[in-house]
Amino acid sequence: MSRIGVFVCHCGTNLASVVDVEKVAAAARELPGVSYAAEYKYMCSEPGQQMILDAIAEHGLKRIVIASCSPRMHETTFRKMLKKSGVNEYLLEIANIREQVSWVHTDSGVATEKAVDLVRMAVAKVAKDEPLKASSIPITKRALVVGGGIAGIQAALDIADAGHEVWLLEREPSIGGRMVMLDKTFPTLDCSACISTPKMVDMSAHPNIKLLTSCEVAAVRGYIGNFTVTIRQKAKYVNQDICTGCGNCEEKCPVKVKSDFNKGLSDRPAIYRLFPQAVPAKPVIDRAHCLKLTKDRCGLCEKVCPLGCIDYADEDREYDETFGAVVLATGYGLCDWTAMYDEYGAGRFADVIDGLAFERLVNASGPTEGHIVRPSDGAEPKTVVLVKCVGSRDPKKGKPWCSRACCMYAAKHAHQILEKIPGARVFVFYIDVRTPGKNYEEFYDQTRKDGAVYVRGRVSRIYKEGGRLICQGEDSLLGKQVRVAADLVVLETAMEPAAGARETAALFGASADANGWLQEAHPKLRPVETQAGGVFLAGTCQGPKDIPDTVAQASGAAAKAIGLLNKDEMETSPMIVAVDEAKCSGCGACVDICPFGALSLEILTAREGRWERAERFVCKVNAGLCQGCGACTVACRTGAIDLRGFRNVQILEEIDALWT
Amino acid sequence: MNNFSQQQQKIRSAASRLLADGTVRFVIGWAPTRFAERTTVLFAHTEAEAQALVWNAHCTAALGKYLLDHRLADYAVGIVARGCESRMINRLLTDHQIWRERVYILGAPCPGMDAERCAGCRERAPVVWDELLWDADGMPETGGRQDAAPTNLDEATIADVGAGLALPAVGAACSRPLDTDTSLRSRFFRAEAVEGLSAAEKFSYWDEVYAKCIRCYACRQACPVCSCRACYVDMDRQGFQGKQHSAADNRVFGVTRAFHVADRCVECGECERVCPMGLPILGQTQKLIKEIEALTGEAYVQGMDAEEENFLGAFDLDDKDDFL
Amino acid sequence: MDVANRTNTAAGGEPKILAFCCNWCTYTGADLAGLNRMKYPANVRVVRVPCSGRVNPQFILRAFARGADGVVVCGCHPGDCHYATGNFFTRRRFMLMRGLLEFNGIDPRRFHARWISGSEAAKFRDFVSEVCAIVKGLGHE
Repeated sequence: MSRIGVFVCHCGTNLASVVDVEKVAAAARELPGVSYAAEYKYMCSEPGQQMILDAIAEHGLKRIVIASCSPRMHETTFRKMLKKSGVNEYLLEIANIREQVSWVHTDSGVATEKAVDLVRMAVAKVAKDEPLKASSIPITKRALVVGGGIAGIQAALDIADAGHEVWLLEREPSIGGRMVMLDKTFPTLDCSACISTPKMVDMSAHPNIKLLTSCEVAAVRGYIGNFTVTIRQKAKYVNQDICTGCGNCEEKCPVKVKSDFNKGLSDRPAIYRLFPQAVPAKPVIDRAHCLKLTKDRCGLCEKVCPLGCIDYADEDREYDETFGAVVLATGYGLCDWTAMYDEYGAGRFADVIDGLAFERLVNASGPTEGHIVRPSDGAEPKTVVLVKCVGSRDPKKGKPWCSRACCMYAAKHAHQILEKIPGARVFVFYIDVRTPGKNYEEFYDQTRKDGAVYVRGRVSRIYKEGGRLICQGEDSLLGKQVRVAADLVVLETAMEPAAGARETAALFGASADANGWLQEAHPKLRPVETQAGGVFLAGTCQGPKDIPDTVAQASGAAAKAIGLLNKDEMETSPMIVAVDEAKCSGCGACVDICPFGALSLEILTAREGRWERAERFVCKVNAGLCQGCGACTVACRTGAIDLRGFRNVQILEEIDALWT
Repeated sequence: MNNFSQQQQKIRSAASRLLADGTVRFVIGWAPTRFAERTTVLFAHTEAEAQALVWNAHCTAALGKYLLDHRLADYAVGIVARGCESRMINRLLTDHQIWRERVYILGAPCPGMDAERCAGCRERAPVVWDELLWDADGMPETGGRQDAAPTNLDEATIADVGAGLALPAVGAACSRPLDTDTSLRSRFFRAEAVEGLSAAEKFSYWDEVYAKCIRCYACRQACPVCSCRACYVDMDRQGFQGKQHSAADNRVFGVTRAFHVADRCVECGECERVCPMGLPILGQTQKLIKEIEALTGEAYVQGMDAEEENFLGAFDLDDKDDFL
Repeated sequence: MDVANRTNTAAGGEPKILAFCCNWCTYTGADLAGLNRMKYPANVRVVRVPCSGRVNPQFILRAFARGADGVVVCGCHPGDCHYATGNFFTRRRFMLMRGLLEFNGIDPRRFHARWISGSEAAKFRDFVSEVCAIVKGLGHE
């Protein structure tokens, strides 16, 4: 005997005015398995709950059905109540006879008939409910931030300031990301390095932060609360514990390599730091170019190092660390316009550069000490053309998206040229000017007042004529072809997801959209979370952004991570899927369905039938990842995988109950 | 028939060699019976048994499903594989039921056998093998039995041949009315014969079919795609399948069985071949494949390779949903 | 599926329509219809499921076999699934199942599916009313 108790609520008059609650209770008494039924004015009230608890004790009830408002309203209330009784809180079903009966129907007869049906369904379902136990998993109180740009730095600082240990992992030899490459930031024109380098120093000095540079994520196991991450430390060949960063080695190194940081506008040695204010402020050896490592010659750095830091035998190492929360801040790259726009010279003209290269040119700590010059001959350009939306908003040749920051940094570039080169002329080719940000429109307006000429249209061709670059395009407002003879052309190119971002996110169970930007859990309501529990997004890895938005999102991601790390344990819902291995054929149909990567096939080796040692696949559920949607259960023809709380047999019983 | 006898010799010698050198524990093929028009399945364990293997137009049983009996084995099994068997093997590999290295596939391009379902077959050459016994060249690419196949038929004509078919009669017990006509026809001939009916006519047609169904589950037993360790119909406590012997519950079984193989069916027609009541149930699975092709606008042939994606295990953001 | 003999309408009663609603969108939308005191026919009985992806097409077969006059499946709009992708699978499953039901002589007007979000209370009301009217019109054959 199931010993089911049914409790019908009046909800004041909300229910009772339409539904004949006494009739519902009477009908319930006749249902198989029901040993007690009662009605009361307010079941959710203190005396109502006490009445249920008393009835449980008095009648030895084992399962409970409450006919009342929507389960979305009070299911949790009644579960909590059952915790005080001897009845497992999951042996409970709610028949929704308010929102879906009394409030939507007027005829008492049909409403009561429907209410009885809903109670019958709930009774049939509760009879097949199983006691479940919410389990909890301990949370490792340490966060991993992947990516050391401004987003990662901000997230790491916020988490560390909240008192949690943070490891920040950066694949380059220094943190700083794109922001340290910039000269000034719009619209306030404060020096980018002046506001970002102090944060970098804070990072390295923070007692809760551990910096990992030249590192990558090699593999991830586990899930929210406990990610075991295999970190690959690339060889630096310089003992970072002893090195003081004196710089002797960098001065003596005979190798010259184009500096990526300076966008190829200057050279760097093979033992180098990314930029002078690098954090950590210690050099590493570029193994691809070091003469000692490639040809076993030279060895100068070892000779000049006063502390004996150089270690040519250094090797990549991998080790595992566990983290409770992860913030992905993998950032962006600029699209390779040379591969997409042959009409702009595809890289053949030295004086056609991209926006980041211009940032290096105009930066006081850059290769020209802030003098804007032509890369080809070092002359000061008198006429500069800025081309916006190169690669952006161009689904045919480039990317379909708007890169969001270019309108503003183009205005900033125009401003800087006009300020630094007296008498200079600046032409900005644009499709639209988008300035939605605080003080953005004002800045753009000022730039035009300062003399920048905005031409509405795409540049169709750039070619060389008499030592100058002719930019030809249509001025679509005049309806005329225009040609501008420029000394320097700056292409404000599209942002794209950083190389490898999709793969790195996938290791953590997070996904990327069709364009490669990492996918937030909900575009509006969960913008910093991912589908993978405990993995959060900060900055441009999620989509193009400017610095203020990036920093704001990083703090948001940090807040989510802190919320998680503040808990000692995390309760996991027991209403997840479970696999009956004896029935599972290991076909993997369910694995394809799961959006959370909670299911996987594993080889089971066991004695079976006439075989001593048979190997077969079975599906395994990762209880930490399963969110309980149950979409996989439909793919399982056998029914070997079933959803607790919504098992096949329960839903079938509900259906059957309607037509018995 | 000359071709058949030469090819039969190739099957026998390849099987003997595999057994002699210990590559496989046994070879699955066909053997003669005392009825000239019937063959049976043979598991040749010895070289002598291999000499009993036959190859003729009556090799209508498909062999792929027998591999499942040895899915846990630590030895290799040899199998003669036509187009249908090779697609079954790929299917079993996709579903992780067998290990590729434990199957030795003797590829046998098929000229079309003496069975109605073979007349709608489009993929008769093996798509996977360890050893191809003879070239598929010169085989008619589509259509019915080799000697019955008209030449130079294009797809449109073949569809026409199928479209005009009469509704298949629902068989009587122990008769085989289905294999009477082996002339060329459309790939979905059985489904197309039912599609033209009105809703009420369809309902009563299937009512007649499922009133005769004895729920012996032979269709499931023979199906190479029904590879579950345990079948839902055998699980009383799951409750999916009503145990009443009624047309209604039989129909639930029939439709569910079709849906369970929906996107994985290799169109071998074994379900219909083994039905002791002679019920034309191939239409159900053909209909599903036809629907998938209509929904995606692309050809959907299962078993062409072992890495393929199942229709129901994937989605496109812009999938059709015109009734939603 | 023995529709002709078992439906409620056959017995002269009101038709019963079974509705599978996902917890996050349509069930919430149905609750909202109640909060707004919208009125719709009482023929519908809702089964709450976490996601429309949980709805096994076999449930629909079972409902028809037991005598349902109509069955509907509702979930979040594509792209809005609480579990990201559940309803994309629902879509394929039921597009296919509809064809199979039709092939088996189940009148397609007895089986419907609709995407209804948590805010679309009016859509829920209209959809349920529409299906009721259709099913009542069909009566029994």
